[in-house]
Parts: sequence; structure tokens; C-alpha cells
Amino acid sequence: MEFDIIFGNAARAALGPEAVILALAAIGLNVHFGYTGLLNFGQVGFMLLGAYGTSVSVATFGWSLWVGITVGLALTVVLALALGIPTLRLQAVLFAIVTIAAAEILRLIVGSTDAVGLTGGPFSVSFDTSAFYDLNPYADGPQDRYGFGTFAFTGQQMWVITVGWMLVALASVGVFVIMRSPWGRVLKSIREDENAARSLGKNVFSYRMQALVIGGLLGGLAGVVDAIKTSGADPNGFRPQVTFFTYTALLLGGAATYLGPVIGAILFWFLREWIESFLRQLAAEAWLPSPFADFLSGAEGIISVGLVGLTLVLLVLFRPQGIVGNRTEMLIDDS
Amino acid sequence: MTVDEPSCVAAAISDEIEPILRVRSEPGVTKPDPILTVHGVRRSFGGLVAVDVDHLEVQRGVVTALIGPNGAGKTTLFNLLTGFDRADSGQWTFNGQAVRSLSADRLARQGMVRTFQLTKSLAKLSVIDNVLLGAQDQTGERLWVAPFKSRWRAREQHNTQRAEELLDEFNLAHMRDELAGTLSGGQRKLLEVARALMTEPYLVMLDEPMAGVNPALAESLMHHIGSLALQGMSVVFIEHDMNVVSGISDWVVVLAGGRVIAEGPPWNVIHNDLVIDAYLGRGSQPSSQDAPTPEHANPQDAGETEHT
Repeated sequence: MEFDIIFGNAARAALGPEAVILALAAIGLNVHFGYTGLLNFGQVGFMLLGAYGTSVSVATFGWSLWVGITVGLALTVVLALALGIPTLRLQAVLFAIVTIAAAEILRLIVGSTDAVGLTGGPFSVSFDTSAFYDLNPYADGPQDRYGFGTFAFTGQQMWVITVGWMLVALASVGVFVIMRSPWGRVLKSIREDENAARSLGKNVFSYRMQALVIGGLLGGLAGVVDAIKTSGADPNGFRPQVTFFTYTALLLGGAATYLGPVIGAILFWFLREWIESFLRQLAAEAWLPSPFADFLSGAEGIISVGLVGLTLVLLVLFRPQGIVGNRTEMLIDDS
Repeated sequence: MTVDEPSCVAAAISDEIEPILRVRSEPGVTKPDPILTVHGVRRSFGGLVAVDVDHLEVQRGVVTALIGPNGAGKTTLFNLLTGFDRADSGQWTFNGQAVRSLSADRLARQGMVRTFQLTKSLAKLSVIDNVLLGAQDQTGERLWVAPFKSRWRAREQHNTQRAEELLDEFNLAHMRDELAGTLSGGQRKLLEVARALMTEPYLVMLDEPMAGVNPALAESLMHHIGSLALQGMSVVFIEHDMNVVSGISDWVVVLAGGRVIAEGPPWNVIHNDLVIDAYLGRGSQPSSQDAPTPEHANPQDAGETEHT
């Protein structure tokens, strides 16, 4: 059992592009769920529009990457308005149902065989990301590696995660700044009791809409990073579990905290990769009976996701406020 | 003063409330300077007519009590007037403006603020933040101003000072930075009133402000509500305790079965036979000393849940 390899793999996942994408999506979800109390179960829909908006603009219409990114983000605003205008006045639970349905509808549309000419349909879409990598300051020859052991990135990955973590930092600071303003205070009051906010003259619908757009834009940004990282978009990458993983990361770190979504995303990928790597090594050990070894070597990904889920259950039971949350605040009686 | 003023009126008779004493004690009577005029307001839930008010005026600058037995429609009327429920029919004006179509938040911005029977303190916000939410002139509540602290800091400091004064008046200053969820039930009531006053309203609508407040605090809260009229505000409050009603109100409106069955100065109304009937049920023949008291009127005070 080589624990340095396991640790290296886990650390690479925790700081890699996947963690960046998850962190951005979770920061957006934190604006929705953590601060405003919006039960958005369709965050993946915003990510999908960011990714497909960028990919399709470049691949199908031949626009520049920067126009593509703008289109992707603009589409998330459109989705936020389309979701919000009819449903934000309704009960929270109905909003949740509509968001999950909307995200699934989007995935089925972009992945349908009729959409092959536009989005690539089930065959996914790929596009030229050279406009982004032309700016790469890291040498990215085939031999260039940054890091040590299994904890190492290529030059291209280094560029993606450098820009990615800068975006995460910017988004976190941005959310911090607006949430500690009087605007953020109104948002939290709506989360607590919308009628109290209303009785004090706050336009609840308008504030919820603003929060939905901001969180959706951050989800879209996660999608843009995803599209650039994979040089394209695939409908299978936007299944509902992406939203659930985002919730897992958010709750792991602590909802309604500034660092919670970032810490949660890092931890989520660290745990997931650590367990997966560990199981892979375990399967390779000679002393394990072969049926178990065969099972482990095939199912380590599924088991690892399951164990992350178990971690979440234990966390919600024993530390419901998350890693960085405030326990007194969590235990306050809402009545 | 040409009118006798019985000793039970604790509040000083100011120039503001003197005109109300000349108004006749009869349901739906017009008043010299109404801040709120209600006409033909009706609301039914299925077959039950909860509110059916032909005409009601609320005089500006005085404290009006809204009383009535359980299920009389007091809270429903509050919900209708403040935009939290929709009336089946009817019109009402606030400060001379027809406001039936206005949403609750717009009404609050126009200066009609309410509190709730089941207190809505914002548990996970600090006490001071609860009060600061009431401020109406904070441009930092707009998204495009929010990131620039320099543009709202001065206003925030000014508001914080006023909020601290209010907390001080309501004996909550020592809880300033605690989460509102840690307050006792009575303290939450006080917080809600302080928060409502932070909006600098013309008309304050208080739904059972005294319920659950301990006697010493209730005394100070009573005094406070009484003094609001002297500061130029108009107050309507729902209350069951007749000592409170006669202690601070200048005018009492009695609701029963959704209708205004009597109104007048407190000393007049609480001995009114119709009112006693409404509280105790027709057929009983109480002496005038048996005017409704909290015990008689309202055996399940805390348990009352009107249509909210």
C-alpha cells in the first residue's frame, strides 16, 4: 500500500479543475440556498448553459471564445428570469420542483439526436480553446510537470486552475462584499421569514430574483470553466447528481458561510479521490480474495461516492453547521 | 376642555386627540381627520364570512384599540388592510390614497407598518440587524450600491444610532449583538415593535403586542404605545386585556362576527350591552361590573389562531 501515491492523487483532485468547477457552482448555490433560502435543485442547468453557450457559440457559430463565454453567461441570466418570474412567488417546494425539471429538460434538449447540428446532440460538442491557452504563461511541453509524485499538473492544467482559483477567489470576495451590506441583510431576512421582510417594506420577489441571477451566473461560470477544461461539452456531464454533489460540498463546508463552499468543494474531491485511490490499491493487494478484488477494481468509483454520501449523512447528524459554520446559529429555534 | 375626561384615560389629552372626544359613539361614525378609511370590506373563507365591515374610520394621531371575541376577524382585518391577504370586495384609503391594490411591502414603504400575532423576529439575525432592517432610507439595500461601502456607511451609522436608541427604550440594549432567536418570547414582541417603529411609520398596526410579555415589561410597552400618538403617529392595536385597552387607547372599535358592532371611547364601549353580549354570549345578564375582562373574554388567549 503506497500512501504517498494515494495522498498525491487526492491532493491533485482537491486542487484540480474539478474542484474549481465544484467550488464555483457551490458559491452560486450558497447565494441561492445559504443566504436566500431558495431551494434550487437545478444548479446543473445553469452550469449546462454556461458550458453549452460557450461551446456552441465557438464550435457551431464560429464566434470567438470571449463572445462565447459572454453568450454562456447571458443564457444563465435568461434561465434565471424564465425560472424566477413564474415560480418565485410560489412556495419554496414548488420552486425546487421546477428547477430540477428545468435542468433535466435542458439536458435532454441539448443531448437529443435532433440537436446534433446545433449542440452535437448525444455525441457532445468540442471546440477550439486556443484563444485561452495562447495566454498560458506555463511551459506546457509533453515533459513539463508541476508538482511532485502523483501530485502534479501539466502546463495546460496549471493555467486552467490558476485562472480557476482566481475566479473562485473573486467570486468569494464578491459574495462576501455584497452579503455584509444592507442588501445581504435583506436577503437573510427573506430566508428567515419572507412576511417579516415584506412587512418592513422589502420587495421579496425582486430580491429573490436578484439572488437567483447572481447564483445562476456563478453556476454558469462553473460551466464555462468546465467547457474550457474539456474543450467542449457533453450532455452526460450535466446529470442531476452534479447538483447533489454541489449541495454535498456546500453542506460539507457550511451553508451561509463565506468559505464553506470552497472548503467543501476541496474536501469533497479530496475525500472522493482518496477513497477511490485507496480502494484501487487495496484491490491490487495480493491477500484479498479474488472476487472481492475484482469487485473493488471495478466499483471503486461508485463505492467512493457512496462513502462521501455516508460522510455527509454523519456530518448532518453530528455537525449540521458544516466545517466552518456557526453551531449556535444552526441550533436556533426558528419559531 | 368641554368634555369630561374620566380618570381612566392615562394618556395626556393632547391637541391631537381632543377632536376624537367629540365624535359620537356609534359604529361606522365619520371622524374629523381619518388616516385610514375602510369601506365595504368583505372577506370570506368558504362559507364563513370572516370580515364584513361596512364603514370604519381610524382617526389620525390617536391610539385605537381593536377588540372582539376570538374569531371576530380582527387579525383577518389586519391582514387585509396591510396587504397580506386579498379582500373579496371593498375599498380603503390610507392617507387619502386608495391602497387596496398595493402590495404589503409598498404599503409598508408608504408608512403603514404592522406586527404579527405570532412574532416574526428574524431568529438568525442579530437583534441590532433586526431593527436596522426597518430603516427605509438605506440605499445600500440596492444591489448596485451594496458593494460600495462608502456610499452607505454614513447612513448605516446614522441608522445604527437610531436603532440603538430604540433598543434602549425597549430594554433590549444589552442584547444588541445576540441572535434574535436567543430572546424570550416577550423580548421578541418588544423587538418586533422596535423594528416596526424603525420604519418611521405614520400608522402602526400592532397585533396583540402585549401577549406573552411579562407584567413589568408590558407596563413599559403600554406606556410606549401610548406615547406614540404624542409623537404624531397613529396606532391601531389588537388586545384582549381590558386594563390595557382602557389604559392607553383613546378610541375602541369592537369587532364581532366580522362586523363593527360598537365604537367609542373606552369608558363608553366596555359597558356597552352589545359588547358584553358579544363577549359573553346573548342571554347572560351581567351587571356593569362584569364588563369583559381577559379571564371572561378569552379563556384561551395564547391559543387563539385566527385566520392568518
